[in-house]
Amino acid sequence: MSKRIVHYINQFFGGIGGEEKADVRPEMREGVVGPGASLAQALGEDYEIVATIICGDNYFGENIDEAVAEIMEMVKKYEPDVFVAGPAFNAGRYGVACGTIAKAVAEQLEIPVLTGMYEENPGADMFRKDMLVVATPNSAAGMRKVVPVFTTLIKKLANGEEILGPAEEGYLERGIRVNYFAEERASTRAIEQLLRKVKGEEYHTDYPMPVFDRVDPCGAVTDVSKIKIAIVTSGGIVPQGNPDHIESSSATRYGIYDITGMDTMSPEDFMTVHGGYDRQFVLQDPNLVIPLDVLREMEKEGRIGELANYFVTTTGTGTSTGNAKAFGEEFSKKLLADGVDAVILTST
Amino acid sequence: MLRKRENILIITNNERVAERFGEGFQVELLAEYGEVLLRTRDALQTEYRLLTHPMSGSLKPNQTPFKTIILERVEKRGALDMNSIELIERAMAAYHKFYECREIPAWSERSREDFRTVDLSLMEPAIERL
Amino acid sequence: MKLELGKIFIKDLQFGGETRVDGSTLIVCKEDVEKLVMEDERFLKVSVEIAKPGESTRITPVKDVIEPRVKVSGNGGIFPGVISKVDEVGQGRTHALVGANVVTVGRIVGFQEGVIDMSGPAAAYCPFSKTFNLCVVVEPREGLETHAYEEAARLAGLKVATYLGKAGREVEPDEVAVYETKPLLEQVALYPELPRIGYVHMLQSQGLLHDTYYYGVDAKKFIPTFMYPQEIMDGAIVSGNCVAPCDKVTTFHHLNNPVIEDLFKRHGKDLNFIGVILTNENVFLADKERCSDMTAKLAEFMGLDGVIITEEGYGNPDTDLMMNCRKITRHGVKVALITDEFPGKDGKSQSLADSVPEADLLLSCGQGNAMLHFPAMDRVIGMLDYIESQIGGSAGCIAEDGSFDAELQIIIASTIANGYNHLAAKGY
Repeated sequence: MSKRIVHYINQFFGGIGGEEKADVRPEMREGVVGPGASLAQALGEDYEIVATIICGDNYFGENIDEAVAEIMEMVKKYEPDVFVAGPAFNAGRYGVACGTIAKAVAEQLEIPVLTGMYEENPGADMFRKDMLVVATPNSAAGMRKVVPVFTTLIKKLANGEEILGPAEEGYLERGIRVNYFAEERASTRAIEQLLRKVKGEEYHTDYPMPVFDRVDPCGAVTDVSKIKIAIVTSGGIVPQGNPDHIESSSATRYGIYDITGMDTMSPEDFMTVHGGYDRQFVLQDPNLVIPLDVLREMEKEGRIGELANYFVTTTGTGTSTGNAKAFGEEFSKKLLADGVDAVILTST
Repeated sequence: MLRKRENILIITNNERVAERFGEGFQVELLAEYGEVLLRTRDALQTEYRLLTHPMSGSLKPNQTPFKTIILERVEKRGALDMNSIELIERAMAAYHKFYECREIPAWSERSREDFRTVDLSLMEPAIERL
Repeated sequence: MKLELGKIFIKDLQFGGETRVDGSTLIVCKEDVEKLVMEDERFLKVSVEIAKPGESTRITPVKDVIEPRVKVSGNGGIFPGVISKVDEVGQGRTHALVGANVVTVGRIVGFQEGVIDMSGPAAAYCPFSKTFNLCVVVEPREGLETHAYEEAARLAGLKVATYLGKAGREVEPDEVAVYETKPLLEQVALYPELPRIGYVHMLQSQGLLHDTYYYGVDAKKFIPTFMYPQEIMDGAIVSGNCVAPCDKVTTFHHLNNPVIEDLFKRHGKDLNFIGVILTNENVFLADKERCSDMTAKLAEFMGLDGVIITEEGYGNPDTDLMMNCRKITRHGVKVALITDEFPGKDGKSQSLADSVPEADLLLSCGQGNAMLHFPAMDRVIGMLDYIESQIGGSAGCIAEDGSFDAELQIIIASTIANGYNHLAAKGY
């Protein structure tokens, strides 16, 4: 009997449409669709892509729980030997969706999973520790190049064969430390590499240190009563209806919303979409995350100079540091242009 | 640097440390290794800094049931010692990481007494110099 | 300082009437060894056994491993300040019985001693699975205080090794290696065009079962100092510690320090090996700051272009390692670190307990959390009573036949962080 594969792709690769169709709900089709064709051909007769699941990237991002549940039901029905998602290349939302659904399948159904992304796809950093993510070029033009990588890994996963290192197999390193016997002992290797370092040549470390992207804090504010303050939050506060479709986790977007003339964050006007905490109290009183009520009082009393007439918001949970950094770099420019002197960051 | 004894706080779950130094120093005797780390973290968040390394002894946290940490009150309340906080956070991360590997075995009382002795011996030279 | 190290290769170990070297066989008088150990009244009894490579033999709990050496000519004697009187060593000629070791065995503090398997899967991870081992199994008198017992066991191993070493005094060595280091200014002038490389050797020094001795001085009581590399080959440093078995730098490893050995291999060819800076691993954070300041100052003062730093143990010493790395780098000296890793059950957590961005060159000695199956062995030297509570073991891990599953941590010197082994870890 041939090995069974279920393939997950987005609305674009499924041929449904581009951005305008990004909110389509998951649907399942028998057999191969889109990029699955080249995989199926390379895999040969002993493997069969039994079904393809197609889902809009926005639908997935904005309705993670529902989308995962729906897709999981579809996958279960086919009892696959391997679940393949993507590859997503450099498409951020697609990458996050591939990682999220593959992780859920691996954990809940205990089926081997495989996806593929460009290294700088935000989904890559989020999920490389959890699964095999094939390193792909940054666009679908590179599909042909990665097909053999996918087929080798799919076959190994289906047959429970040993997966070699990232360099041999072509996946992004998962950060798992695995022992091996080196040709030279560590003292010999250390001398070799140290001499290279001393000479200013390239050298190789066995263990790259974790890099923390630290930001030096600005100098202290001298007089709070004379400055303009803005509120920035990762607590997922958005206007009712979430007009900009900010995701409930793993955000790829942020929003800037007006509070001109408001003295308090009314639950009629605002809600939270954050998927990482119990939202009940914040839905009743959004001031818990955006303390507009208190800040307005302080503004009136002259204890702070001025409050900016908007707040900046996104969802922190699961959001890649790459995305978070990009948001910050972008909206800081606006804050500076608007003469904001300091921000209050609230998290949840 | 001269230290004032009343500024020293010893957090431990080793009765032998409490017995030995309870007279001259402020000692908090807790039940579990994990509680010692947690209490230390809380103390560091308010008015103390570390004098000894929270992972003293090179025994991983799932390899000994006892832990003693010595702290000193900072001059200015609220002046956080970031270096201390970083060290305790790393120690707590290691504690959880190794507990996931395996929990502390049910050591015999004789082994537990050995562990108390080792923990005490790690602290004695340090405390005697205070 | 110039030392000729004569290596007598030992390829068999037997009991006999008189302790001597016969060709490549070391013959040991068992009674003499027992008598020597029992001179110390702190022991209740001792048994002496032989373990050879390839045998179905398990040795545990192991405290220390020591290579027998003897001073043939030159100042002082082996293990100065501990066995021989305090006197500078490292000059003249020394003979070593290479391939033979003394292994001290017994319950010291039930958990910190490790396992040596003479065959099977664990043998690949342990240097002493490939040597001929004279195992000295000691048992203390009832009620002997822990510190006193640790000391008695430590001295017993060193005494037996010194006794065996004497059998090599008159033997013509199979090979003679010459190690020479000149006083700083002369050494620098000798190879002016080669990069000047030093070695920062961190000694475990935290307290009971975490101590190391330099000329008999507890390492936590000294401040960082300069050492000629030859001194260590005559036993200037002895191990008094029992950290996690895998991490343990045994006295054997001090005598045969791999960094020193490998630096000498390239000395005068593509580097100029200037010497060793000894430092410690203390519990007090203020001591760490002070000692790492001094280490960096010494590295700069010696005009070094690069240093290799090794540590012993996990956790607390990682902070010393990183402080040394950062400060030495900031003094303009390039740094390479050697250490082992503990990334947790799934191998995905941080390998070290501390890190600094300057640590951009680190050579791995493998990760100690990996699991291994230890099959039953026909013979056990020592006892299996403590396997479950030894580091790397776990409750219920041992089967009735004596087989068990444990982390690599339980094997003596399996991931030793001075670079002696070929084991390494890489990212998957």
